[in-house]
Amino acid sequence: MGQMERRKGKRKTQSNSVSEEIVALLNTLRELAAIRTTAEDAATRILDSAEGLLTTKDDAEKAEEAILSIMTACSFHDLIGQRVAKITETLDQVIATSLGDDADEKAGSSVAKRPDITLEGPALPGSSQDQAGIDALFESKR
Amino acid sequence: MAFDPSMPVLVVDDYKTMVRIVRNLLKQLGFANVDEANDGNAALNMMREKNYGLIISDWNMEPMTGYELLREIRADDDLSRTPFIMVTAESKTDNVIAAKKAGVNNYIVKPFNAATLKSKIDAIFGEAS
Repeated sequence: MGQMERRKGKRKTQSNSVSEEIVALLNTLRELAAIRTTAEDAATRILDSAEGLLTTKDDAEKAEEAILSIMTACSFHDLIGQRVAKITETLDQVIATSLGDDADEKAGSSVAKRPDITLEGPALPGSSQDQAGIDALFESKR
Repeated sequence: MAFDPSMPVLVVDDYKTMVRIVRNLLKQLGFANVDEANDGNAALNMMREKNYGLIISDWNMEPMTGYELLREIRADDDLSRTPFIMVTAESKTDNVIAAKKAGVNNYIVKPFNAATLKSKIDAIFGEAS
């Protein structure tokens, strides 16, 4: 391979790497937006349930329903935690690449550990299955 | 599978908040005997010491994931028939299918509500819960 071809190949590799970094950073922005939505949804659900509790406190069944709704809304902690972990991992990889570390090698070792399943964590809105979709998937695969 | 509210249930999640949520929901459904583990390894060790009637597990945990726990359980003659519900944020179609193939009894995607958990337990044990 001539020197010119090698340079072209290197430029192409760098270009691919930059494109991948831009996609990763754009996904990170989407994750941040999703965190805001998750927190807002949870706060709304908690407030709605708490307000419901105030007006239905003499109805034990409805009060219990409101309390359970408040409890499950607290799962936002887990979802936001997983999204923040994804963002941290992405930024770590981008920084490592910028500093010239072998990020591919790091990713390779992770893949080697669990070759068959790639975990994605919480999906971005509209990009994956909801509970109804999963239920249908289960029914169809039975 | 027979429903017995006194049966031990094991909740596996690395987020304490989620364990508390699931534990409280189970209590409302009548389950009084609930243990917890914060990853697959810990859960597997506990299962080898005690017979659990139901496992409710997250997927994304270190060092052993819920999926790996499920596979370990299904490959173990003593544990393989234990009902297993995955409660996870993982909703990619391929992963749901992989869990199903590995023998998960039901699959709940986070965030979820009390009615969803109840319906999945009902689906395993019948309507008795």
